[in-house]
Amino acid sequence: MEAKERKKVELKPEAFVELTKIFFNKEVPDEIWVRPLKRTITHHHSYGGLTQFYKGLTEGKLLGTVCKDRICQAKGAKIRLPPHVFCPDCWEKMEWVEVNTEDARVHTYSIAYEVGAGCLLIRPVPIIALDIPGVWTHPMSYLSEYREGEPYIGQRVRPVFRTENPTRTILDISWVPVD
Amino acid sequence: MIEYGSGNLRIPKLTRPVYVVAAGTTDFRRFYPEKQTIELVVEAFKMAVIDGLGMTPREFKQFPNFGIYSHFADHLSDQLLEAAKLHGELGLNPLGNLEIKTGGATGGSSVLAGIMAIASGIASVCPVIGWERMDEVGTNQGNTYIANAADKDFETPLAERYSTYYDLTSRRYAHDNKPPRLSLAKIAAKDHYYAQFSPYAQQPGNFEPERILKLKAVSGELTPPECCAMSTGASCLILADEEVAFRFTDKPVLVKGIGSGSDTLRTADRRGHMPILLPNETPALYRDIAERYPDFTNFEAAHWAAYHAYNSAGIVNPIKELDVLETHTAFTISDLQTWEDIGLAPPGRGYEFIENGDAFFEGRLPTNLSGGLLGGMHSVGATGIWQLLHIFWQIRGEWEKFLGEENYWRRYGKTKPANWRNLQVKNARRGMGISHAGTGSHVTCIIFERGW
Repeated sequence: MEAKERKKVELKPEAFVELTKIFFNKEVPDEIWVRPLKRTITHHHSYGGLTQFYKGLTEGKLLGTVCKDRICQAKGAKIRLPPHVFCPDCWEKMEWVEVNTEDARVHTYSIAYEVGAGCLLIRPVPIIALDIPGVWTHPMSYLSEYREGEPYIGQRVRPVFRTENPTRTILDISWVPVD
Repeated sequence: MIEYGSGNLRIPKLTRPVYVVAAGTTDFRRFYPEKQTIELVVEAFKMAVIDGLGMTPREFKQFPNFGIYSHFADHLSDQLLEAAKLHGELGLNPLGNLEIKTGGATGGSSVLAGIMAIASGIASVCPVIGWERMDEVGTNQGNTYIANAADKDFETPLAERYSTYYDLTSRRYAHDNKPPRLSLAKIAAKDHYYAQFSPYAQQPGNFEPERILKLKAVSGELTPPECCAMSTGASCLILADEEVAFRFTDKPVLVKGIGSGSDTLRTADRRGHMPILLPNETPALYRDIAERYPDFTNFEAAHWAAYHAYNSAGIVNPIKELDVLETHTAFTISDLQTWEDIGLAPPGRGYEFIENGDAFFEGRLPTNLSGGLLGGMHSVGATGIWQLLHIFWQIRGEWEKFLGEENYWRRYGKTKPANWRNLQVKNARRGMGISHAGTGSHVTCIIFERGW
């Protein structure tokens, strides 16, 4: 029987790279090899039971959750924002409610002059946490319009929703000063 | 939880005594291409076994019966199950082992796991080995990876940088408490200054506090010397039960107190409430802030961990009853907050701990003589271990040996400074190390005491 030709295993072009010579402004010693390992990765992340929150942002609504359990209500349960599917106190399913942002204020803030490599906001960006009457927590967001001296603690702000061309992330809500 | 049941408040009690018998470390660098992770781990472990116990590796390897590995982030080193690789390279198979992960508190949590292994009787000798390889990606990518330890749905996309998340706490803290801004810079100046006297430290520096404030901020008001290092290196401790401990050394260090606490990953989610009280606190301290505590200004996880650690150690007045302290100074603001959380200063007055000189060498409770995370290192999986090994050396009176002997400086290609200071605390008997994750999602407080 005639021997069949053996198949050859080839390498993809991206297997061939130059060694790293300088990193962190330091030269790699000649006797050491540092090889770049490139990663291009896409995660397909589910919002699961929180999807309604992100969908709400694209529709111009800020949704939180509140626990209607009898004991939680008796203990004065308020809106949780970020929302939870299950109440951390009693583990019952929470109910969605639209948040009234009429008297929202800056609880605290920072200006991010430097940001991580994956950040989709162009720096500098004012990051804020909010005080919203009726809300138990202090959700984080950002100010999409600001001038010198802003934000400041106690500043009144209102939400702006990215209903056109949404990112489908928490970046679809930002806040602007109420003058 | 903002209401506690009796089970929640139980004070930990070890079922049998646990001792630390040896410690080892590498130096720490921003970029360490000269050595792979395994080389760093072997170096740290050899230092503990050979320099610490005076044993050969072959002699020592007869004794361990479990191992704890401390590693924060697989994505930084791009290697899953790295502990298995290291365990094998150390020739410790088929001994059982665990890899522990709790963010920035990974080191403290790993020591806690090692303590559990010995106290429970699972092990009589248990190495706790920590490392982090933070130099495979540039600083901005490193910050994005670390920011993945915030909530990816609601927080991480907002700047992808932990210095911003801490500056949020800083701004609120400043608004509520109005601490002198210079006090924060003094923390950074102190820790960088002490780092000059350590052959292991990555960021030694001689800063005037006023100059720190003039530097360009990275987030809000936080300037680079006020932000922790990003480091590559390894550290380890060797834990043992009483029988083995006294066979290995005349000077074993006893685990006197342990505490671990937690809080919501998102700072945003923390609801106001009255905290439990430390042994040296009164309800009046919280009278004006109980409705909003811990807010963005304090870490209840640290307070909870300190409550359990002090009560398990029988400590009533921490400043008087501790001789040396290492805190997790990820950023200068977190020290002010932590000092309050662990009862070294009243809420809102953390700055007093540095302004009255307590925090300095020869002060009432010298803090971060290692250089801490600002001056020394932050190689996340190693950090909590590195802090505790400095407490171990202090209690054993070995500071001068391990930080002062020329061979340790030469080992890392460094020259011992002509003005080197011996930061050995006189008659140090008891010390505490604090390990801290996220914006306070996990905190451990571990208290060591002279065991001989």
